[in-house]
Amino acid sequence: MPSYSLTVNGKSHTVNAAADTPLIYVLRNDLNLMATRLGCGMSQCGACAVLADGKEIRSCTTTVSRIGNKKIHTIEGLPGLWAAKSGKALTPEMVHPVQQAWIDEQVPQCGYCQSGMMVAAVDLLDRTPQPTVQQIRNHFTNTAPSPHLCRCGTYTGIMAAVQRASKSIAG
Amino acid sequence: MSNLIPVLTRRDFVKVGGALVVSASLPSTAKAAAGADAGYTLDATKLVSWLELHADGSIVARTGKTETGTASSAFYAQAVAEELDVDPRKVSIIGGHTDETPDGGYSAGFLGGVNNLKKVAAYTRQALLGLAAERLGVPAAGLTVAGGVVSGGGKSVSYTDLVKGQQLSLAIPVTGRLARIDPKDPIGITDLMGITVTGNPPMKPMDKYTVVGGSHPRPSIADIAMGKAVYSGDVKVPGMLHARMVRPASLGSTLVSAGKLDKVKFPTAEVVVQKNLVAVVSPNEWEAVSAARAVAAVTKWTEWAGLPGSGNLTATLRSAKWEDVGRRGDPAKAEAGLAKAARTLATTYEQPYVRHAPMGAFVATADVKTDGSLTIWSQSSQSQGARAHIAHIMSVPVEKVVIRWAQGPGQYGRTTYGGDGAMADAAILSKLVGKPVRVQWTLSEDLAWSSTSPGWVADVKIGLDDKGNMVAFKSDWYSPHENDARMIGAVLAGMPTISPKTKPFYPAISTVWPYDKVPAVVESAYGMANLASESANGGIRGNIMRTPWQRQQNFALEAAVEEAAAAAKADPIEYRIRHTSDKRLIEILNETSQAAGWKSRPSPSPQAAKSGTTPVRGRGVGVVIRSGAQWVGIAEVEVVPATGVVKVLSFTTGVDVGKVMNPRHLKSNIEGGTVMGLGEALFEEVTFDASKVTSTDWTKYKIPAMGDVPDVKTVFTSRNGRGINGGGEAANTVSANAVAAAFFDATGVQPRRVPLTPAYVKSILKA
Repeated sequence: MPSYSLTVNGKSHTVNAAADTPLIYVLRNDLNLMATRLGCGMSQCGACAVLADGKEIRSCTTTVSRIGNKKIHTIEGLPGLWAAKSGKALTPEMVHPVQQAWIDEQVPQCGYCQSGMMVAAVDLLDRTPQPTVQQIRNHFTNTAPSPHLCRCGTYTGIMAAVQRASKSIAG
Repeated sequence: MSNLIPVLTRRDFVKVGGALVVSASLPSTAKAAAGADAGYTLDATKLVSWLELHADGSIVARTGKTETGTASSAFYAQAVAEELDVDPRKVSIIGGHTDETPDGGYSAGFLGGVNNLKKVAAYTRQALLGLAAERLGVPAAGLTVAGGVVSGGGKSVSYTDLVKGQQLSLAIPVTGRLARIDPKDPIGITDLMGITVTGNPPMKPMDKYTVVGGSHPRPSIADIAMGKAVYSGDVKVPGMLHARMVRPASLGSTLVSAGKLDKVKFPTAEVVVQKNLVAVVSPNEWEAVSAARAVAAVTKWTEWAGLPGSGNLTATLRSAKWEDVGRRGDPAKAEAGLAKAARTLATTYEQPYVRHAPMGAFVATADVKTDGSLTIWSQSSQSQGARAHIAHIMSVPVEKVVIRWAQGPGQYGRTTYGGDGAMADAAILSKLVGKPVRVQWTLSEDLAWSSTSPGWVADVKIGLDDKGNMVAFKSDWYSPHENDARMIGAVLAGMPTISPKTKPFYPAISTVWPYDKVPAVVESAYGMANLASESANGGIRGNIMRTPWQRQQNFALEAAVEEAAAAAKADPIEYRIRHTSDKRLIEILNETSQAAGWKSRPSPSPQAAKSGTTPVRGRGVGVVIRSGAQWVGIAEVEVVPATGVVKVLSFTTGVDVGKVMNPRHLKSNIEGGTVMGLGEALFEEVTFDASKVTSTDWTKYKIPAMGDVPDVKTVFTSRNGRGINGGGEAANTVSANAVAAAFFDATGVQPRRVPLTPAYVKSILKA
């Protein structure tokens, strides 16, 4: 099996995997990063979203051979991402403002889709720090390749949490 | 001390090996202390099985019920903290492991589930007060507790100090038994409620609550947000193989020959077969996925085409042979009322099959040992029921089975009977290969092979007097079997399964009748077997889904009342109020309509139109009473007649649950349930051809995305003196009625089916 060098959550890893292995299996099984969740497996739901150079990708259909030099961040790596962005030292207590907003708004019900939802929120706020309600709705619904789906119906909570995180990042 | 207090026997602790009120015990200690049986079921009569007060002031409470996403773990912690007068952040809940919890029970309806822990906490408080009275020399009646510190007579002592170094045994009175297979039971498994704590320990009156009623955060949410939560699919057992299933080509196919594996391409994968159960296992998950796809492409199955096709569902149900399964009301009186009514309305309603459709497909990991004992890691919301199913399937005593619970994607009722899911697949495969096996279903597999909420048809007749008031109501509701909790892996592998009977086991009429001023009412329900139930693989298995039976029957009821209000040219809310003396329902109707900006007038709207490209708007209401709570949903929709597209512009959901246990999480449950119901209103339909389910991805089984639904406005007020009633479940029931009524308001055409897809909308607007 070929070997790949990956930078995930600020750390370098070398993994042996078939070239067509979707990234999610490498993250979960080889790197033990379990917070990235397998939803549909065909880029239709967003549960498996991770950041590649700060932009959302779907790890269920993006193969490990296509990652190249892109820096991957999963939910476990959001505190480190925030430390780098805010210029603060990374401590064990560090929480990304999106994660804090998700906690403060108590967004998750079953929580299965929420890793992907938080990834989508980080992606959105990185490019659009103060999104309107319509921009948030649009981002979670109409960004390719698919909407981010939540069967528990926590969309009202997600909307509130994205707005809260936006305020928090703005300071 | 009060004679309600159970036996507090310090002398017993030696005998039982140190049962405790206070200890820093580990689960193994607790197990030993609680007299765990060979299969590690804790003895529910011993306090240690339920509750531990640790030296640092933290409290662990144990229950068979689990967190399903409704924040029951927050409420349970609040209830325990309330009775003990401690900080709820000190209370953690262990739920669902059959070897670490005493009571079993299902995780739907946590209001019932919380009663066990509440009573255990109340008994414990009395015991602690007894100790404090002795220690402080002050009668128990003169003691107060705050923050886990007992005070009286100018002295105080903390719970922790009070019992430090002491070990107490407190007997907990219980009744009932854990879930078990019962061939005589209509669903084949019984005692699903598990063990119930009995007696009446003094409990805090509602108006003295300080913890229940606050927005206590759910502890697991921080873990989910930080990526630390462990889900059922995250379990890794040393030596574990990954499995993917190769399912039959149709719902009734049997295996002709399993495909051969290309060992060059997939060197570490193996094909495993038992009867019609085919799987590929591999130590590498992606190899299991790839190899299973390759094997599936060359596996041969018999042809089978025994389904009517979803397009013919209504005709099929109309021509089916039905069994009478339940009736409420007086048929003769209702017929007489209809006969003498000034006017009668006769309508029919229908809904296709819909399904739970969680975000993650079924997953389970099983480790079957050579002696037949086994452990399964699962997200089932009925662990003891799952344990009974698995013991039955694997033909081992229940004592040999342990179910370890971990949170999973929301199940919305499909695991409430302990069945359905990947547990049987995992256990059978683990036994065959002699290693732990993790089975992950695919989304398409889940949308095709998991159980569903069956389609239905209903006929309603309403008699109106000369003022348009309802004087008689008759409904007949027809739906296939909805209690088939078998696990498909066991069915395919030819292992023993429970044998569900044709008839629904539940009171077949599940509406809670809101309109008591209607003098003559009869409601009847009729059952039949699952579609293609005679086929090799059991056909389309029906199962309960969020607000089961009542959700469907209430749609027919409220849609018919909507038509009656229109016939009476009455405002739909005023018309409902006219027919009920339920003061709480009237109150929440008024509060919700006010919040929604409802203006009184009959439907349809004066601007209603059923043709053209100009959007038309309408508003509508739906009502349900469920688990002691009154619900009202109000929708505002926009319809473009030419395209048939329906858009929900706003939605307001109001509920009177009496005392609100946790406002933040009640709000979340109302919002989420409303959105789930909007899926049924607008999109959801399980489609099938003659041989298989065809709605097998998210483009074919569409559920609401954020942009499909408005932010949900919620209306609720906490009120003492009305009990604590169900707020987690039933919001999904009012959505479809409110949307359908709003559609009528906008177009002047009554929809008699959901979902309101463009095709259906265009067909009824054209008619």
